[in-house]
Amino acid sequence: MKYKGFHRMICILLSAALVFTSLAGCEKKGTSGSSGGAGGDDSGGRAMGRYMEEELSLPAEFSSIYDMKKLEDGSIRIAGCSEDRESVWETKDLGISWEKVYDFPEELQDDVRDTAVSSGGRVACVYDEGSDADMKEIFYLMEPDGSFGRIPFELPQAEELYVNLVRQILFVGNDRLLICDDQGIFYLVNAADGSVVRTFEFGNSENMYAAFAMGKMLLFQSISEVLLYDSETGEQQSPGEAMQNGLAESGMIRAADTLDAGESIYYVTEQGMYHYRFGGSVVEQLIDGELNSLGSFSVDVGSLLMLDERNLLAAKRDGNEEAGARAGILKFAYSEDTPAKPDKELKVYSLYEDNSIRQAVGGFQKEHADVYVHYEAALSGEDGMTVSDALKTLTTEIMAGKGPDVLVLDGMPVETYAEKGILRDLSSVIEENKEEYFEDVRNAYRNKEELCAVPTRFLIPMVQAGSAYYVPGEDFDTFTKRVGALENMEPEEVISRFWYSSSAAWKKEDKTLDESRVQEFFEGLKRAYGDPPEGAEKKEDSALPGTDIMQGDFRLLAGTWNISAGLFGSNPDYKFLLAVTEHLDGGDFGCMPGQAEHVFVPSVTVGISSKGSQPEAAEQFVRYLFSGEMQKISQGSGLPVQKEAFRSVIDGHQYEGNTSWVDLEEGIRFELAPRTEEEIQKLMGLAESLKTPALQDEVIKEAVLEQGEKVLRGETEPEEVAAAVAQKMNLYLAE
Amino acid sequence: MMNQKMKTRGGKDLRGLLWILPSFLGVSVLYLLPYLDVFRRSFTGAVDEQFAGLNNYRNVLGNTAFLLALKNTLRFTLVCIPILILASLLCAVLLSGSKYGGMIKSAFLMPMALPAVSVALLWRLLFHSQGLANQWMGRFGMEGSDWMDTGKAFWILVASYIWRNLGYDIILWMAGLSGISESIYEAARVDGAGEWQCFLRITLPNLKSSLYTITVLSFLNSFKVFREAYLVAGNYPHESIYMMQHLFNNWFQSFSFDKLSAAAVMEGGVLLFAILLLQKVWRMD
Repeated sequence: MKYKGFHRMICILLSAALVFTSLAGCEKKGTSGSSGGAGGDDSGGRAMGRYMEEELSLPAEFSSIYDMKKLEDGSIRIAGCSEDRESVWETKDLGISWEKVYDFPEELQDDVRDTAVSSGGRVACVYDEGSDADMKEIFYLMEPDGSFGRIPFELPQAEELYVNLVRQILFVGNDRLLICDDQGIFYLVNAADGSVVRTFEFGNSENMYAAFAMGKMLLFQSISEVLLYDSETGEQQSPGEAMQNGLAESGMIRAADTLDAGESIYYVTEQGMYHYRFGGSVVEQLIDGELNSLGSFSVDVGSLLMLDERNLLAAKRDGNEEAGARAGILKFAYSEDTPAKPDKELKVYSLYEDNSIRQAVGGFQKEHADVYVHYEAALSGEDGMTVSDALKTLTTEIMAGKGPDVLVLDGMPVETYAEKGILRDLSSVIEENKEEYFEDVRNAYRNKEELCAVPTRFLIPMVQAGSAYYVPGEDFDTFTKRVGALENMEPEEVISRFWYSSSAAWKKEDKTLDESRVQEFFEGLKRAYGDPPEGAEKKEDSALPGTDIMQGDFRLLAGTWNISAGLFGSNPDYKFLLAVTEHLDGGDFGCMPGQAEHVFVPSVTVGISSKGSQPEAAEQFVRYLFSGEMQKISQGSGLPVQKEAFRSVIDGHQYEGNTSWVDLEEGIRFELAPRTEEEIQKLMGLAESLKTPALQDEVIKEAVLEQGEKVLRGETEPEEVAAAVAQKMNLYLAE
Repeated sequence: MMNQKMKTRGGKDLRGLLWILPSFLGVSVLYLLPYLDVFRRSFTGAVDEQFAGLNNYRNVLGNTAFLLALKNTLRFTLVCIPILILASLLCAVLLSGSKYGGMIKSAFLMPMALPAVSVALLWRLLFHSQGLANQWMGRFGMEGSDWMDTGKAFWILVASYIWRNLGYDIILWMAGLSGISESIYEAARVDGAGEWQCFLRITLPNLKSSLYTITVLSFLNSFKVFREAYLVAGNYPHESIYMMQHLFNNWFQSFSFDKLSAAAVMEGGVLLFAILLLQKVWRMD
């Protein structure tokens, strides 16, 4: 009895401890860490300070900027290529005014492989002399005043390589060059006499290393490691474990610089800019790439120049050539009064990673410094998540009020979401300038007066063949009456390609599937496919077959296929399509014959969540997706819905004054040059004629693919398969 | 003083309530309150939460997918549970008289220990149209079948459920059997009763309380068969194995919370009624 009170006390204490630890586990995650590095807090407790981005105006349109350095007198010197001419430019007022220092000598104007600028204003360049097996690398050194001479250095011949070329050159200080060849060997060379001071070799040539110079220190990075060397002594030093670990997360270094003799490094990766003191325990992120162009999918930073701790320049190259994007210089200046992270967070969600959206996020972020755009693509392909899992998670998040503001609806049940009130009416958001757009495409999901989802791009189901197999404008029956037209294609390829032009005709008004139309579809394809080859077995590869018409074009040229069918727009090299057509006997291309007519496939379809927390920012983002700037970008997601941008993507203006020939293995040769007006109008006319959106229902498509290939393999009859599909899908549609 | 008060209120001992209070709180927070929310939602729109009266119930009862799922679920329950209960009872009686009963009993439990994913994988391997079952049948000159795309899928599901739950029910039956005193059997045998009469007159009446528990548990376990069906055939399996959980899963995915809530309320009500009815029948006996 005398221990009873003691036992009770122990029990109460243990219970309290249990409750306390449980509650501690539920504590909200801290928001420590600021992307501004040295930023402070405002009175409201917000972390303050952020590097703000602006683009410097350049004196000419540069196709590339090779290197950029700050000279001792404070001026900035760049070497680049503008108007097909390599030249060196200088600014003494941080880009307000530029002065051309000199053009590269005439003899170096072609085939410049790489160029480097030194802190003393010298420029070294390497260019290719000769061709094929006789090709040699010639090195030149240009003094600050433009006088130049050849560097007497030659790369050694490599036994295993057809020809040994330069991968990279850079200055180490003002007098030495670091040259990397195709064997992966780095040569530290005296620029004056070409003598080799020392070499750096890191095993085999397959593991590519990139080098960066910080004062006298040299940093070499491969996919798996980072190595640090003193260029003067050749001694290896440890860069520190923190940097190794940091780079594993942030990705490969694109450009680097320092503000000291090489004790620390500032470097840029696709995720932003970082600062690290060698041997230190922390890598500090100074700039979050998600908040500016550094994280943009198409932007590659080739050179970084630290002006001081709070100001820096980054020479970039933008991959969006169709959109007129070129090389440029970004200036980042630290602003103490700007919050480290914008107050508003706009969430953008898609099932699949989309490069055009990724790029739009970067562009939008740049224009709206007060909005942080968080883009999430649910299916990374790394964690085994299925579409069904992702949609369930999305449902939970939306209903919990933590869902995205903007939904990229590709692969999602758009009509169901609209019906349930998940998507807001966008009529007021995108109604402006109707005549500028392909309106039938933009209205693909218009239901009565509401427009809950809008495709920002589209693809065209097309067929391309000689006149023996296809005549533009013919219907599905006529097309499929040619027995064997589709022979040699894999059954799943046939179904997945022709699905687009027919499936839109299958849904009846009462929302059930029209079994007779499905049966006709299978019968037609079976007729055109002919008898299945004997001994043909189902491919083990479970990945969905490709649907791009370009893939089919190669097989058409090789004579494996009689026709090429698929979607045009994901890789809109219109010239290639035209070149293949010319190669065919009476060849032509046009809309894919199907049970529905004038079909297009909506792509990058966007909607605004009615449960989102940032409706205004979401509207701005959707408007931005329809802007000329974004529409002209071609990232493999489809053709623009804006007519002017559509023309810009297909007209080949980027080849103006820069034409070249492409030789294909199949013996076909075509010129990369601007298209003729007639060619442009043909495709414009085809796009104008499109009226019917393809059925974008993954559940029905999966069932049709699974069952349909049995018909083409001769395992079962169209009637049975149509009944099986209809039974399964009517259940789905009845839900 | 407090103990005294709790003992005397209403003439009943209320101390027991304190012991079930934590559990009751847990059940309330995790089950009862959410269920009340589901009940509320069954009268509102899916996303806008506008009052919809009985529309959701009307929509559900007129929904062909719901009626099919209901039919299949009932069919599955009515086929599986009697088979499982009888088969496990038979095994338990046989095992309880065997000296190797304990060892064999453990072997019967093995299927329960297998993860659902492994079972689904095995299932696919066996019953795919180009799977092992068809290969074996081919060797004996028999024609194969697309097992999962025909009505046979239902019987595969039934077999899978019985295979997985047989061991568990055997254990429960054996626990019931061990509670019957041997002296009752001895007395009956002295009075001239045979084995069959002992089984009918002694064993079965004494297992009535176990039967109730086993029936309810088997019934609840029958819902878990969805995992295998879903992992093998996805959201839209052959119509013979399209169960209520498939429908609920798909409705959740498509934001049909209105129909989902109404159907859940109806299903919950039916289950509660069935369990209370079972309890009543047992108590009457």
